[in-house]
Amino acid sequence: MGKKKKRVEKVFCYYCDREFDDEKILVQHQKAKHFKCHVCHKKLSTAGGMAIHVLQVHKESVTKVPNAKPERESTEIEIFGMQGIPPDVLAAHYGEEEDPSSKVAKVEVPSLRPPVMPNPAGMVYPPRPAYGVAPPMYNPALNPLMARPPIWPTPPPQPWFTQPVVSVPQMASGLAPQQPLFPIQNMPAPMTSAPTNLLQTSFPMAHVGVPSPVTPQVSQPLFPVSTSAGNGAVSSPYVASVAPGSIPTSSPSVAPAGVGYAATNQGTGGPAAVPPPASNNKAPATQPGANEVYLVWDDEAMSMEERRLSLPKYQVHDETSQMNSVDAAIDRRISESRLAGRMAL
Amino acid sequence: MATLGLAPNMNPNKSFEVLPNPGDSVSSLSFSPKSNLLVATSWDNQVRCWEIVGGSSQPKASISHDQPVLCSAWKDDGTTVFSGGCDKQVKMWPLLSGGQAQTVAMHDAPVKEIAWIPQMNLLVSGSWDKTLRYWDTRQSNPVHVQQLPERCYALTVNYPLMIVGTADRNLVVFNLQNPQTEFKRIQSPLKYQTRCLAAFPDQQGFLVGSIEGRVGVHHIDDSQQSKNFTFKCHREGNDIFSVNSLNFHPVHHTFATAGSDGAFNFWDKDSKQRLKAFSRCPLPIPCSTFNSDGSIFAYAVCYDWSRGAENHNPATAKTSIYLHSPQESEVKGKPRIATSRK
Repeated sequence: MGKKKKRVEKVFCYYCDREFDDEKILVQHQKAKHFKCHVCHKKLSTAGGMAIHVLQVHKESVTKVPNAKPERESTEIEIFGMQGIPPDVLAAHYGEEEDPSSKVAKVEVPSLRPPVMPNPAGMVYPPRPAYGVAPPMYNPALNPLMARPPIWPTPPPQPWFTQPVVSVPQMASGLAPQQPLFPIQNMPAPMTSAPTNLLQTSFPMAHVGVPSPVTPQVSQPLFPVSTSAGNGAVSSPYVASVAPGSIPTSSPSVAPAGVGYAATNQGTGGPAAVPPPASNNKAPATQPGANEVYLVWDDEAMSMEERRLSLPKYQVHDETSQMNSVDAAIDRRISESRLAGRMAL
Repeated sequence: MATLGLAPNMNPNKSFEVLPNPGDSVSSLSFSPKSNLLVATSWDNQVRCWEIVGGSSQPKASISHDQPVLCSAWKDDGTTVFSGGCDKQVKMWPLLSGGQAQTVAMHDAPVKEIAWIPQMNLLVSGSWDKTLRYWDTRQSNPVHVQQLPERCYALTVNYPLMIVGTADRNLVVFNLQNPQTEFKRIQSPLKYQTRCLAAFPDQQGFLVGSIEGRVGVHHIDDSQQSKNFTFKCHREGNDIFSVNSLNFHPVHHTFATAGSDGAFNFWDKDSKQRLKAFSRCPLPIPCSTFNSDGSIFAYAVCYDWSRGAENHNPATAKTSIYLHSPQESEVKGKPRIATSRK
């Protein structure tokens, strides 16, 4: 849905028409040949990012992409690998006509809070003001469902849960041949509809050419990503990045439109994986306590629900004798938490 | 926040409120796969059903458990609701036929998660008794009992992929074509307690949310481990809130996160962008869900116990369920092309 058509041909560089077998190599090529800062040789991710870098760091302006063919020198157009290439260029290169309308559709920047639009599945969800007033009092005894079982709204176009099973290509490859299952009725054979792999190569998202590079782009709309699994929480500091919640209440719809992931490059040029160097200068710390950053729920041994259930009001007396491991854990945690003295505030 | 000090606005995003409100915190929300029937389970032992039609919420029916209810799931044909909870059982409620609810599953401890697996015609339940049990709803004994390393905290199924998150940060991956053996057992990529899980629509991996305001995007296949990453969310200032709910959009395959900070956001993992951030509600969001076609995002706003009992005042506690109809721009992944000149 909305995914760009897969190209079977080789990928090519928009700027110099050179062809490559792999988009990764193409990206490397572009960074080395077309997105490199001529002053400090830093490789940026996009032409716009390079121009902004040169402007901000070196106070020079770059209007042309180096090593580009004459009509493709613009730094305004955002190219990343094969992304962003205008349809006409694509068509010219591959000698095939692409539907320009689809391209145009992809370009539109989502407006903030447009009026209700029909959802893609075709069902119109009514606008908020149309919601009715409070329905009559809740009455469990009254069960209108019984009154009209046959009349059910037509099933939505894409019933989620009944979606045909898609085979798991990657996963299955690592599996032993299917073994006999435990007795199950109605076990359908796994269907083999083409698996749509959502996870195409994920690229650092480049930002749309920001007209005013001086704008202090708060890290706000960005995905504060720390790459790779392992380093997750330990190595990455508890930098309290400008959190989602700090959005002014007046404008709940801070759309990240255009401000992209790689936009971190435009600032001081820190690596993209690091939370952007915003005004936020909280020192990194590995201990929440050391930095007054704390988990609101910090009990590793027990979930919120378990804690809540440990309240006396939820205890069923005749069954408390049956001390299973959970109850034991709960009791232990209760006593511990009482001793520990929960966080203030 | 200008509204602080005054009565906080429970509904800063001007969502539609489902009325009447449940009597206590909501623990799970589930939409029927066939219609806009919404079921909410609650700490007041009730399972309630509303029909969302034509811009109003119509209370339909309810059943009760003997203890707080923690989880719910619909059968794929939209006729039946399952609910499990602290009474250590799962009830099957033939909602459409108006039949009586009956117990179809038992555990030795509260049932935290349930899911209906249409491809197997079985119900799976995960409990704090450290087991996963599969149920044919016609027999009183489980079809299969799977031992878990710890108490079940989260579960997600996208057949044949199932991931179970337990205490001690274990994530157990099952291939339901062979449910009796663990496909893989890994430590959560996050360093803190697992709170919620969501299998990718393409079954290549899953999202995991933790109490430390962080979501991990994790792939199952070893060859794809380089694509894994984690990101921070649901934090404000020095407070790090739990990520309580993760829901993939059924059509666009972007996802929503909701947290104890009262905020919910829509994200696109493929472009690594936040698509939309919503205003923080004054109370946590313990659970949320999309309806079957993704035109409604339902979220509960109520206390989730993240600040313990001392911050709970039953007299003033409020519980609300809100519905937000996402704009396409909020839930559709951003194409990764930018300006194109004509």
